[in-house]
Amino acid sequence: MRRITLVILGLAGLAARQEGGAIDEAQKRLREVLARVTPAYIFIDGGSGVCISADGWMVTNHHVAGGQKVWPMRFSGGKEGVADLIGWHPLDDVAVLKIRDGKDLPFVPMGDSDAVRVGDPVIAIGNPFNLGAENWEPTISVGIVSAMHVYLDSPGYKDAIQTDTSVNPGNSGGPLITMKGEVVGINGRINPRFMNRVNTGIGYAIPTNQIARFLPHFKAGGRQWGGHLDGVQVGECGDDRFENVGEYGDGTFIHGIDEGCPAEKAGLKEGDILYSIGGQRITNNNRCFGVIGTWPAGSVVPVKAKRWNPAKKAFEGFETKLLLGSVEQMKEYYAQAGNRYYGFTPDYYHEGAGFKVGEVDSGAPGAKAGLKPGDLIMEAGGKRVANWVEFRQEMGARKPGDVVKLKVRRGMEELEPELTLDQRDLSQDQVGQADRRPPKKKDDKKKDDEDDDDAPPKKDEKPK
Amino acid sequence: MRYAAALALVLGALPARAQDPLAEEMAKAIRAVRDSAGKSVVAIEVIRGEDPEGETGSGPAGAHKDYYNRPAGPVTGTILSADGFILTTAFNVSGEVKRITVTTPDGRRHEAKRLGADRKLDIALLKIDAKDLPLLPRAKPGEARVGDFVCVIGRGPDPAALTVNQGILSALGRRSGTAVQTDAEVNYGNVGGPLVTMTGEWIGITAHIYPRAMWGQSSGVAFASKNAEIDKVLEDLKKGKDIAKPVQGPWIGVLAGEPRAGVEGVPVDQILPNSPAEEAGLDAGDVIAAVDGKPVKSVEELKAALAKKKIGDEIELTIRRLKRDGKTWEEKKVKIKLAENPN
Repeated sequence: MRRITLVILGLAGLAARQEGGAIDEAQKRLREVLARVTPAYIFIDGGSGVCISADGWMVTNHHVAGGQKVWPMRFSGGKEGVADLIGWHPLDDVAVLKIRDGKDLPFVPMGDSDAVRVGDPVIAIGNPFNLGAENWEPTISVGIVSAMHVYLDSPGYKDAIQTDTSVNPGNSGGPLITMKGEVVGINGRINPRFMNRVNTGIGYAIPTNQIARFLPHFKAGGRQWGGHLDGVQVGECGDDRFENVGEYGDGTFIHGIDEGCPAEKAGLKEGDILYSIGGQRITNNNRCFGVIGTWPAGSVVPVKAKRWNPAKKAFEGFETKLLLGSVEQMKEYYAQAGNRYYGFTPDYYHEGAGFKVGEVDSGAPGAKAGLKPGDLIMEAGGKRVANWVEFRQEMGARKPGDVVKLKVRRGMEELEPELTLDQRDLSQDQVGQADRRPPKKKDDKKKDDEDDDDAPPKKDEKPK
Repeated sequence: MRYAAALALVLGALPARAQDPLAEEMAKAIRAVRDSAGKSVVAIEVIRGEDPEGETGSGPAGAHKDYYNRPAGPVTGTILSADGFILTTAFNVSGEVKRITVTTPDGRRHEAKRLGADRKLDIALLKIDAKDLPLLPRAKPGEARVGDFVCVIGRGPDPAALTVNQGILSALGRRSGTAVQTDAEVNYGNVGGPLVTMTGEWIGITAHIYPRAMWGQSSGVAFASKNAEIDKVLEDLKKGKDIAKPVQGPWIGVLAGEPRAGVEGVPVDQILPNSPAEEAGLDAGDVIAAVDGKPVKSVEELKAALAKKKIGDEIELTIRRLKRDGKTWEEKKVKIKLAENPN
């Protein structure tokens, strides 16, 4: 009796999947896409990469391949090659390499990442836990796009694609691919749980439209810089200290604009609300900085703004083109302005306790104190610093001329250099993001204190 | 199932709110798989003695004794023959097992006898006294492709309820070709159940809960031992043979972290319980700087250095460790006796 029931159930099971039905169609499609894209997958240093052109341009994460100039690599299946690091963008976590003697190589074209919608199925190809090293067979996982245009605080995932596709350590640098067989993102970050670095259903990819805008620069070689709002001070819409700033979510509110800056030349004025940049809807400051950071420094970007018309008592929209700050300005910010206060940048990829020094600017306080890249700052002024954010907060609470005693680890050595703070300016971490806060008002002390996590830069100290 | 609806949208047939043929068909197929293949999936309760080593609390899975620590509840098995051979993972029935009770889909409970096991495939064979048990149809060998939709079926904390997780085949040649990899979620409860096609045809037994995942938490990386590989050892298992893993070379039992710029040596992420590393007093966060005085700069170099040794050899590791004050590094030399990898 049971057997008969089973047979019926079995038949029902088969009947649910009709030959040539939707499942077969989807399956055929997935197999076909995978056959096309998998050969372009690249194993590199336990991580991943993807070949994007027949002559061997390859994209991966900066945290995978940014550390050395020449890399051995293998295609899916095991074919070996050598790739040279050509362009890199540490703040965006992107590195572009060129495979030597590249000719007729398998590649996946870069697609339009802005066309991706939440819910779209996506394919990740990767090397989780270095499983593929046994036979150079990469891991394929499929999921959906969970969110688009996600802003994460540094480093670099300022317009990320979030996916529930299984992405684990080793997937870094690998492609996120649509059912059309186009790469739309480079997987690079996950949200782990209990410090256990395995997937929890939250992975982030850098969108290809962002990478595509930098691609000519990457190919030209060297370090790349993202755009920034030059000479513009912005605040959140809906800030009740100002009139006619709309509501939070409307855009980014311009509360200050330097004379002769590109934004002024583009016709923007104090009080304007920027609500679209490069075709992307801007809802708040993070989104504004996120989008601007996805354009190379010096780009000209179409923007949309609205301005209060007192006569009509209404906002009126207009469009213009905005020149973003130049590479030279960014370098200058980093070399002088941004770093003047303490004079070094964090290594954003450092995991574990302390502030790890990334770059030290010559002649700046850090260099004078004898700091070197790779140093681990464990204490500042007698207080432990868990990470660079805490360090920055500690520094923000001090003023130029203060001497801060540091405890620094260098390899096995323990050092106690003294850091003499120089003139305060834009904190380096805000460079490229302009000033997010409304200007200080005397009668506004209380409110200002509440949202102040770092001393606000003063306008007149900004480098021109 | 999570992407089925979206797939249909991409396939472009219908507006979002309309009846979606793929989503509908997929849901139907999943239920049909549950109803057909689920008839061959059993719940297994394992009563163990006290953990001989007094291990309690959580820890990284995959180390030898984690079956004492796994969350309570039944595990899953797959019916292999009409007269009562049941397959599950070796892990599921390891340790000092006092009693194994199998609940068949008809609700009957059977005392089970543990026969042989194969650690290489992470499978174990049980026998219950039953007849006319329903069998899974087998997938045709060689037909599976990466990207194929698959389901894993298991019994959850409530043995009466079947769970079905869907995913795809992520890779076909893992564990020296004995296993396939899937992104369908496999956890401590459903491991030991079958991996099947969307028509309910049996591909393999989910096994090898990955050591990186704490308490078997799924990371979207799961494995299933292929049924063709199971066939090869089945007669031995019926005879009660316990097949050990092929010797994997000397093992110290650490999970290495990703290399860190500026840190020379191999950073240690986790120490596996009951490993030589634990015995020697290594700690997560240590950096292995040298083996027998020779510097190691990467996991590969560490592996190569260990591969030259034999199981049972005593070696000297140079370890860099943060002192308790959290400020200074100390360099230590520790003796460590190499063991065989139990995983």
